[in-house]
Amino acid sequence: MPAPDVPSAGKASTPPPTPTNSAPVIRDYRAAWTLTGPALILMVLILLVPVAIAGLLSFTDYSLGSDSFNWIGSANYEKLFTRASYEKMFVATLTYVVTVVPLSVALGLGAAILIHSLGRFGALYKTIYFLPVMATLLAMSIAWEFMLHPTIGMLNRTLELGCGTLLERVWPFLANGCADRFPVWLGDKRYAIWVICFIGVWQGFGFNMVLYLAGLTSVHRELYHAAEMDGARSAWDRFRLVTWPALGPTTVFVVTITCIRAFQVFDTVEAFWPQGGGPNKSTYVMMFAIFEKGVQQNLIGIGSAITMLFLTFVMFLTLIQRWLVERKVHY
Amino acid sequence: MTELSIVNVTKRFDETDVLKGVSLDIADGEFVSLVGPSGCGKSTLLRIIAGLEAQTSGDIRIAGQSVVDRRAADRNLSMVFQSYALYPHLSVADNIAVPLKMRRLSRLQRLPLAARLLPSGRAASRKIEYDVHQAAKMLEIEHLLNRKPGQLSGGQRQRVALGRALVREPAAFLLDEPLSNLDAKLRVQTRAEIAQLHRRLRATFVYVTHDQVEAMTMSDRIAVMMGGRILQCATPETIYEDPDHIDVAEFICAHKINILPVEIADDGQLHLLDRRLELSVVGAGRGVGSLGLRPEALRLAGENAPIRGHVVHRENLGAELFVQVEVAALKERVTLRANPEQRRALQLGSPVGLEFDPAKALLFDPHGKRLRQLRPTFAAKPEVA
Repeated sequence: MPAPDVPSAGKASTPPPTPTNSAPVIRDYRAAWTLTGPALILMVLILLVPVAIAGLLSFTDYSLGSDSFNWIGSANYEKLFTRASYEKMFVATLTYVVTVVPLSVALGLGAAILIHSLGRFGALYKTIYFLPVMATLLAMSIAWEFMLHPTIGMLNRTLELGCGTLLERVWPFLANGCADRFPVWLGDKRYAIWVICFIGVWQGFGFNMVLYLAGLTSVHRELYHAAEMDGARSAWDRFRLVTWPALGPTTVFVVTITCIRAFQVFDTVEAFWPQGGGPNKSTYVMMFAIFEKGVQQNLIGIGSAITMLFLTFVMFLTLIQRWLVERKVHY
Repeated sequence: MTELSIVNVTKRFDETDVLKGVSLDIADGEFVSLVGPSGCGKSTLLRIIAGLEAQTSGDIRIAGQSVVDRRAADRNLSMVFQSYALYPHLSVADNIAVPLKMRRLSRLQRLPLAARLLPSGRAASRKIEYDVHQAAKMLEIEHLLNRKPGQLSGGQRQRVALGRALVREPAAFLLDEPLSNLDAKLRVQTRAEIAQLHRRLRATFVYVTHDQVEAMTMSDRIAVMMGGRILQCATPETIYEDPDHIDVAEFICAHKINILPVEIADDGQLHLLDRRLELSVVGAGRGVGSLGLRPEALRLAGENAPIRGHVVHRENLGAELFVQVEVAALKERVTLRANPEQRRALQLGSPVGLEFDPAKALLFDPHGKRLRQLRPTFAAKPEVA
C-alpha cells in the first residue's frame, strides 16, 4: 500500500510547471492597477498637475483674469535672488526656522520627559501644553497683540513693575526701558521676528511633546535597569545610553515635521501685519510672500516662483528625513 | 570572597506580602537557583539583591557587608535579564563595553571622540577593547562584535547579554530566567554552557527560573520558593529524594508525583485504602496524612498488592513507559513508570496491582510537612487472609 503513495505525494509537492502561470501574472497586474488606480489618479490630479502648472506659470508673467501671458524665462527667479525684499524674505524665513525648530524640539522633549516621570498631574500638564496646538492661531494672535501692546499690554505693564527695584540694576534692558520706554514689540524691526518666533515655539512645542510622549512609552523598561546595573549612575548617563537612542526615530520625524511647519508660518504674520510683512519687512516670511504676490497683488508668475522654491525646500527636508530613517533606525 | 547573605527580607506591594521573611546564605562560588511557580516572589527577591527594588525590611550582605544603602550601580553585581535588555543602537562590542566604560572612564572621557583625543582616554579605551575581546572569545561571539543586536538570533543575543555581565568580573551574577526566550533545543545547549561557564569562572551565581529541570541540572543548591517563602534549600538530590514539604515534592518532579491519602492510627500505624501497610510513623498524632510516591517508586505486583486498579492511559517514551492506573477509591489516577519489557502486561484496561518501596515513600502530615520517622512494621498479622 504505501509504495505507490510515496511518488504521487512527491509529485504533488513540486511547484506547477512555469508556462501555465503567465495568465495569473497578467491577472495580478490588472488587480494591482485596479486597486492603486483611484489613488494614483487623485494624486496626479490634485498634486502633480497643479505643481506642474505652478512650475510652468513661474516662467510667465501671467496674472489671474488676463487673456494672455508672455514667457519671460527665468526672470521671476532672477528677481527672487537679486531684489532686496526677497533677500529679507529668505532672512526672515531662515531666522524663523533656525530658531523655532531647535527650541520647540528641545522643549517638547524636555516637557515629555518631565511629564513622563510624573506620577500624578501628568494629564493636567499634557493638557496645558497641548492647548495652544489645538487653539486657532489667528485668534491667539489677537490675544497676543493685546498682551504685547506697548502701553496697555500685559507684558510691558509687568515689566514696569520692575522699575525702581533691584532688578533694574542687574538687568540693563529693564533699566533702559524704565528710563526711556519699553519696546513697541510688534512695531520694532529688532523685536518683531523674535516675537513671531516666540509665538511659534509656544504654539508648536506641545505637538512635539505629544509625539515624544508616544515615543517614550515604547522604551523598554528593562533597558533602564540594565543601564543601572552597568553603572549608569546619573540621569544624564541613562538619557544618553537609553532614552535618546530609543527616541531616534521619533526625533527624525519630529524635526522634519517641525521644519515643514516652520516653513509654513503665516497666520501670525498675516494677523499682526496684514499690509506688508512687519516693520521694515523683517517678518516677510515665504508663505506670506506667496500670499501677497499671488493673491493680493495678482502676480501669479512671481508667486509661483516662490512656491516652487518653497516646494524645493520641503522636498529637500523630506529626502533628508528618508535618508536618516533608512540609515539610522536600528530595529 | 563574595558570599551573599539574604537576611529576613520582606517585601510588601500595597496590600500584598510578596516576600514574607526570606533568609538565604550563598557561599562564594556557589550556583544557587531560586525556583518556584510564577508569582512566588523569586524575581522580586533577585531584584532586591540587585538593588533594583527596595525591600520593606531585612538585610542584604555581600562579602559580609550590608549593601542596603547602596544603589544597584554600586553593588558590583551583574545581571542577565529575561529580555536580554541589549542597547539596540550599539554594536555587540559596544554593548559589552558599556559596563567597563561606565566604570573606568570619567564623564569627560566618555564624551564622543574624547576617548581618541585624550591620551589617558586612549589607554583606557585600548584596555577596554582588549577586555571586550577576551569576553567575546570566551563566549565564541568574536565574529559578531560589529553587528547590532537586531541582526542576531535569540541564542546569540543571550550570549551577548552574558558577555556584558561577565566582562567586568562582578562579585556575583544574577540571572533572571535567561533561557525562557529560547527554543527547547537551544535551551538544553545553553543550559550546559552556563553550567560550564560557572565552573570556569568560579563565581557566585544566583539563577531565577520557573523550570525545575534547569534548576536540577545546573545548580549546586536549589531554593524552592512558594508564596513568598523559601520552603527548602538544598542540593538537587536532596530536594528530589528528601523533600521537606509536599509542595516541594509536587513542584520538583519530571513526572507528577502520586499523592495518596493514608490514615495514621494512634500508634502510628499507616493504612492505605483500608489496608494495613508494613509501615508506621513515630511522633505523629492520629489523622489523615498524604503518601507521596514518585512513579519510579511504584512497581508491578500480583493480586495481593496494596494498590489495585486498571490501566486507562499509556505514554510510551521509548526508553520508559508511563502508565496511568485508575484506582476505584482514589479521585486521581496513579502514574507508574515501567520498563518497555512490561508493555505486554500493561494493555489498556488490563487490571494491575501496584506495590511500592517503603524506603522511597514520602509521608506528609495534613499541613503538608514531611514526616521522616518511618519504621517498618514487620510482625504483620495476616489480615488479608
